[in-house]
Amino acid sequence: MTNRPRPLELIATPFKGSWRAGAVWALVFALFIVATVAFWPAFKGSTALNDALKTLPAAMLQAFGLDDFATPAGYLRGGLYDVLIPLMFAVAGAMFANSATSAEEDAGRIEMYLAQPVTRVAFMTGRIVSTMLWLVVLVIVVLVAQVLSDVLFDLQIGANQIISTVVLSGLIGVFSAAIAIAVAGITARPGLVLGVSLTVAFLGYIVAALFPISDVLKPWVGISPWDWALGGDPLVNGGELWRYLALIVPSAVLAIVGVVAFNRRDIRAA
Amino acid sequence: MEQGSGLALRIAGLVKDYGSVHAVGGIDLEVERGQVYGFLGPNGAGKSTTIRCILDLLRPTSGRIEVLGLDPRRDGVEVRGRIAYMPGELRLPERMTGHQLVATIERLRGGISDERRDALAERLDLDLKRRLRDLSSGNRRKIALLLAFAADAELLILDEPTSGLDPLMQQVFQQLVAEARAEGKTVFLSSHVLSEVQRAADRVAVLRAGKIVAMGTVEELRGRARKRVEVWFTDAPPATELAAVSGIVNPLTEGRHFSAVLDGPIQPLIELLARHPVASLLVEEPDLEEAFLDLFAKAPVGDAA
Repeated sequence: MTNRPRPLELIATPFKGSWRAGAVWALVFALFIVATVAFWPAFKGSTALNDALKTLPAAMLQAFGLDDFATPAGYLRGGLYDVLIPLMFAVAGAMFANSATSAEEDAGRIEMYLAQPVTRVAFMTGRIVSTMLWLVVLVIVVLVAQVLSDVLFDLQIGANQIISTVVLSGLIGVFSAAIAIAVAGITARPGLVLGVSLTVAFLGYIVAALFPISDVLKPWVGISPWDWALGGDPLVNGGELWRYLALIVPSAVLAIVGVVAFNRRDIRAA
Repeated sequence: MEQGSGLALRIAGLVKDYGSVHAVGGIDLEVERGQVYGFLGPNGAGKSTTIRCILDLLRPTSGRIEVLGLDPRRDGVEVRGRIAYMPGELRLPERMTGHQLVATIERLRGGISDERRDALAERLDLDLKRRLRDLSSGNRRKIALLLAFAADAELLILDEPTSGLDPLMQQVFQQLVAEARAEGKTVFLSSHVLSEVQRAADRVAVLRAGKIVAMGTVEELRGRARKRVEVWFTDAPPATELAAVSGIVNPLTEGRHFSAVLDGPIQPLIELLARHPVASLLVEEPDLEEAFLDLFAKAPVGDAA
């Protein structure tokens, strides 16, 4: 053992502490992707399905991303990237952030670390970086699973479109995690942390999916982080730079809010 | 207080409120370097709250704390680098082994040698290969003790350190405290168990309801506590005179035997007895447990001596 403190431990400890959850999430993401793409050959070029779907109200098709199911982009959007994968990223982000911060504090386990020669800012930053690293891992897992599945089941779609879509979906998870971190910085109440971040994610989806159906609400669709991320249909068009920034910048601000608030308050006792 | 002065800890007017609840209501104390300082009080007296303020885990409502000449808020990293802390309520990462936890803390603070770690584990009869979730509460406390005493710290802050330890381990703990003092370290020992403090502490502060109600050496505090007095006279006891002595409580006369509780200086009683034929006299030093319980109960809050 050395005599010099190694602050990278503040990242490594929570990262290692979440490996079981990370492994389960990675497995679930990969399984959903492979299982969905595996059915692509049955839908490929199918006009019958499109005809059947056209009997549904156009608004419903739009809301659930079911239009154009016979094309690669339409199939992936309807099966994975309109709801499922972004929602999973949102839940994963909130849960990783919560378990690294407020859940640990609520359980009385961070006192041991904060009694060491580390600042609260460094501690919280370590927890944030650990959360983001897990989301990066999941983005990589999703990308690898998607690309391998596409090759295996002959789903032809551009690499730029896939990378943009997966990264933007991952950024929904980052945004959700950042909300959790902001709340966790203010108070060590895991229920509240998860509740706020998941409510924002869910409402964001509702706004992005349903507001465009209504002429009155349509102008307000831009308030949804889901619309910032996926509103440009990245499976067809790729992702514009502003969409990445629209999620990264507020996420960074929320994370800073969490760190500053955490640095100012009492730490909950065991 | 300047760095390098004789004080390891100075607390002045510390107040910590949680809304309308006054957890700590204005504490003043000073701990000299190299001292073992007992911080006594019943559960809920505010001991852990005070300690958590010292570590900057809690932010005081008002008051001033200086640790080793430094401000724990402004100089928190340096302060905590020179402190080893054992929390009263222990929550450890369940999936880690003892080895992994010690390694994690070592990576955060440095200064824990393998030799010191292994020697302490042997003395504490601790298997560091086992996962923390598989350890008994006593063994978890031993892990926390190991972390506190293995650190190269100038000030050890130990909150209820022997809670859950068997008598043999309590002896080892007393030895470790004595060794720490011999090495010039300061030990701030919080407890509601008097026996663990009386053997180790140079000075003691007694806390009740968030305020210090007594302060001094163990002997001084023992002297302030009530004593049991029994006198055997060769003739009938001067019951009326005895009952009138200052501090005499619950006087009881049976034949030539007189007994009472003395709550005050003994000199007036001795002067009275000198004028009468006394066959035998017994003044029982209070059991420390009783003495401090007495202090907890009777001292008006804020009347620290």
